[in-house]
Amino acid sequence: MNWELIFLFISPVLCSLPIAFFWVKEPGSERARKLPLLSVFGLFISFVIAIHILLKYPDGTYTIPWLPEYNINFVFIFDYLSKYMGALTAFIAFMIGIYGLEYMKHDYRLGWYWFFFNMFTASMLLVVYSDNLLMLLIGWEGLGLASWGLIGHWFRDDDELAYVGIIGRKIGPLKMYWPPSYGGWRAISTIRVGDMPMFFAVAAIYALTGNLNISQIHWGMLFSKIGAAGTVFLMLCFLMGPFTKSAQLPFSEWLMTAMTGPTTVSALLHSATMVAAGTYLFIRMSWYIHPWALHSVPGVAVLYFFVMLLGLISAFYGALVAIGCLERKVLLAASTMSSLGLMFGCAAASYWFGKLALVIAFWYLLTHAFAKATLFLVAGHLIHATHTRFCCGDLSLAKKMKTGLVATIIATVALGGLPPLTAYWVKAGMDGVMHHLVEMVGSTPLYLLILTSLLYSAFLAKFLSLNFWKGCKCSSLHLHEERLMPFAYACVVSMVFLLLYKILSGTDPLVEKHLLEFGLEKDSLMVGLGVTATYLFALVVPRISVLSPIGTFLGDRMYLPALNDFIVPSIGWAISKLIEYTHKAIDWFCHFGLPDFMLSISRRIRSIQVGYLRVYMKIALAFVMLTIFVSMMGWL
Amino acid sequence: MILEFLLIPLIVTFLAPLMRPKLSTVVSAISFLIPFFYVIYGLAENIVVKQHVISLVKPIGEFYILGDQISFSFALAICLVSAMVALYSLPYMAHRFDEMGREFESEYRKYIFFYDLYATSMLWLVFSGNFIMLYIFLEISLLASFLLIYMYGYGDRRKVATLYFIWTHIAGMLALIGFLLVASNNGSLAFNSIAKIGFTAWLLIFLGMIVKLPGLGPHVWLPWAHAEAPTPVSALLSPLTVGLGAYVILRAYLISPWFIKKYMMPIFIYGVISSVYAGFMVFRQNDYKRLLAFSTISQMGYCLIAFCLGTYGIMAVIIQYISHAFGKAILFMTAGGIIANYHGLRDITKMGGMHEYVPTISNAALIGFMNLGGILTVGMFGEFFILKGLVDTFGFDISTILAVVFVFIISGLYSFYTFKRIYCGKPAGYEKVKVNRLLDTPLFVIGVISILFIFPPLANILLNAVKTGVIKAAILTIGGVAP
Repeated sequence: MNWELIFLFISPVLCSLPIAFFWVKEPGSERARKLPLLSVFGLFISFVIAIHILLKYPDGTYTIPWLPEYNINFVFIFDYLSKYMGALTAFIAFMIGIYGLEYMKHDYRLGWYWFFFNMFTASMLLVVYSDNLLMLLIGWEGLGLASWGLIGHWFRDDDELAYVGIIGRKIGPLKMYWPPSYGGWRAISTIRVGDMPMFFAVAAIYALTGNLNISQIHWGMLFSKIGAAGTVFLMLCFLMGPFTKSAQLPFSEWLMTAMTGPTTVSALLHSATMVAAGTYLFIRMSWYIHPWALHSVPGVAVLYFFVMLLGLISAFYGALVAIGCLERKVLLAASTMSSLGLMFGCAAASYWFGKLALVIAFWYLLTHAFAKATLFLVAGHLIHATHTRFCCGDLSLAKKMKTGLVATIIATVALGGLPPLTAYWVKAGMDGVMHHLVEMVGSTPLYLLILTSLLYSAFLAKFLSLNFWKGCKCSSLHLHEERLMPFAYACVVSMVFLLLYKILSGTDPLVEKHLLEFGLEKDSLMVGLGVTATYLFALVVPRISVLSPIGTFLGDRMYLPALNDFIVPSIGWAISKLIEYTHKAIDWFCHFGLPDFMLSISRRIRSIQVGYLRVYMKIALAFVMLTIFVSMMGWL
Repeated sequence: MILEFLLIPLIVTFLAPLMRPKLSTVVSAISFLIPFFYVIYGLAENIVVKQHVISLVKPIGEFYILGDQISFSFALAICLVSAMVALYSLPYMAHRFDEMGREFESEYRKYIFFYDLYATSMLWLVFSGNFIMLYIFLEISLLASFLLIYMYGYGDRRKVATLYFIWTHIAGMLALIGFLLVASNNGSLAFNSIAKIGFTAWLLIFLGMIVKLPGLGPHVWLPWAHAEAPTPVSALLSPLTVGLGAYVILRAYLISPWFIKKYMMPIFIYGVISSVYAGFMVFRQNDYKRLLAFSTISQMGYCLIAFCLGTYGIMAVIIQYISHAFGKAILFMTAGGIIANYHGLRDITKMGGMHEYVPTISNAALIGFMNLGGILTVGMFGEFFILKGLVDTFGFDISTILAVVFVFIISGLYSFYTFKRIYCGKPAGYEKVKVNRLLDTPLFVIGVISILFIFPPLANILLNAVKTGVIKAAILTIGGVAP
């Protein structure tokens, strides 16, 4: 038995159990407040093991028996994707863990927080390394559950800082503010809607092939067997899971209100776990489905085209929403949605472009994870310092938070796609992919991508500008000599340079010099220049007051909250009311109507037996009359 | 060997009233835990035992103890839940007697006798190898639970108890007539000597068990009985007793599956409608226990659905029974925990942010709801098998798939919606209390075991046994389901 592998998953959970128990026993005691160190140590163990796997493990799978009778086992896979992704997850989780030691120091519910935080990490690692779909589902459900627990962490709903939206604001019947308990409910309810079809798809794959290992299933044969409609149906059911987890349209709302959780949670949720799990899974599946080799199988083209379009439209929508947002974390949340859309779009293009599209999508995932985690961590620090969720801050703040400022600049530039930093090369790759597709599927994807890229750099610059330069002056600053928080985001952001080095040196076995070549093409350079221009423009002019009605509309997510908060609940309540009336009717009939009816009959019958002779005489007379009447009828 | 293990709780039933309350509670719990470990051992070793008890005259036939993997699986849930609820009873009934103004010790002696009798009869029921034997235990469990509700229930407890008695008695009578018809056709009611169950007999058994299960229509008794019973009794009624309806159908199915196979589609649709109907009702409830009662109906709809889905469906029935038993037992005990600590608080509209006051109970409730939703607990396999069976049976039939997926989604949604209503949000302004150890620890024991059942070795033991048991039972009977 490979104990190292087992410890990878259980050490975070085991190490968080002491505080989970201790906190219930002695909430808030001095001793209990020291135990988070142990939880972070658990994350550290995972991190070390993940790095060991990255550097030393040969590619391949490793099996631990689970249900051998059913041909379902714990199958761990070590390949290009899982090695990088595992190291990334473990690293970011560990760093955010360190950050959390300081950020959550005075929290009232540390047992809950650390347990779910560590479980979140462990679940994600399970998703990353698993080849078996049922085992993956354990991690997947763990992610959903942990995210619910963490988003609704401040369950008392008593802290204004934990809300999303302006408290008290309403548009028609819609309340445009969301407390943490509601944020958690929205997350889990959306995710359940996606997970169940996905669960069905997994069961269907098992029923059809008798095998659940992604890398072993003969996908082409499976798709040919069930035909075009079957393929599209099966895979759409399956992708409902990734779509809801990765907040693609129209399931994006939960992601925005997920910002009711602590910032550390947002950072982890948006970079390496949860939302990334959806795209990661899609990339992993495509990696072994080999869609580029399945052009002869009907249905696959439709499927991939749909995913690409949905991804790019979601990306565009997310970017537009982010442009209109003024809440720090919600802005970043919308931008995450946009990035996820781009990943889906690019990964789906692999049908036409081949495996390299998947590699590019994956590299975008990596870049995005480091940069977005940094931005969230800085946002958390800002919220701590300024005590507001909304963008504010000027140069005086920037002077006091130098590390934060530098980290934000690096992260925005690196993620926005400004040449010659990391995301530029990756996005150039995406441009190249979409350019290649123009002949086959038209130029819409390319335009959507470019538009999204421009908007993307604009709102990142807006974030930077409104928080450190041109935002309103903060009334009170509460900087308390934090050390761990700046250390954590400085470490995270430095990783984008590592990625940049990898790209420029061409040492990565799959990326090689491809991204470099894409980046040096004229078209990519043009886009890069455009992106730089919008970035600089938005940096200088972060808010345009003339356009503020449009901004409000975008910031209200184009009224998409109506879907989650009004349309679906209204239908549900209408049905349940109808059902309740039916139930009441049956209940009344069985337990009141029928007994009462029987009672009245019984009373009638009993009333006959009163003992008076004249009553009996009457009855006897009536029977005589009846007999005579009947015999008369017979005689006639 | 098996008889001895089954005799332990039976003997304890009669000894427990002689002991002091604490001792009797502990002894009762242990008397169920011993068979629990035996059951696990039996599952692990794939034991199948048949032990003769008595031979009766012709149409009744032999009474024997049948311990196969299916009996063991059901007994697994019964033993564990009964043991844990017994522990839980002590502080809870102390509170209840106090509330009713009765003297604790003498009342508790009565209570523990009926409690043990109730639980033991259910345990014996699943090991019965003869329909009449099974019927006898069915009626004993009915009587014991009726008396418990009648004596210690809430609200208009006498009326509710009578209502419960009449409904379940109808169920029992229908089944009994069915059994007698089987007897007259086959000359015996021992499982191993019945060749075929005729149409009328099947219909009567099925209808009877639909009342007990319950399906849509006759389900109206359940919210009354489960909500108004004293909570430890609810925690046996809902998780264990109603599911035994599924057990009886399962036994009949394994002997002669033609009825369900022939009327597969109507039963399937009926199951889906029952489940969705009750699922929607959950959203409208303001009484915690009544809410849980509706969720029981919804979960039992799973069983009806699963019956129509071939071998994997039958396996799903078993797993679903276990998972629902674990989950619902935990949840009823959480409801009881709040009742005991806050003087009969059951109204959800008066709750909110209860995590603040009773964090351990809240955490346990989370595990309970996870069981209902099939998240990271043994219920996950139940759902997986239902879905697998669905594809095996109907192929890619979109309407059936969407129906089942919708049923599962509803369960998840009402679980977390209820959790949010009760345990999250602005705290409702109560005093924080110190929860009695026995009001929360047993919940976690069940919870942890339900989670352990998705990992080896327990997952292995259970699922292998279930697979062997169902397939073997199917092969042994005439016209059985092919794997």
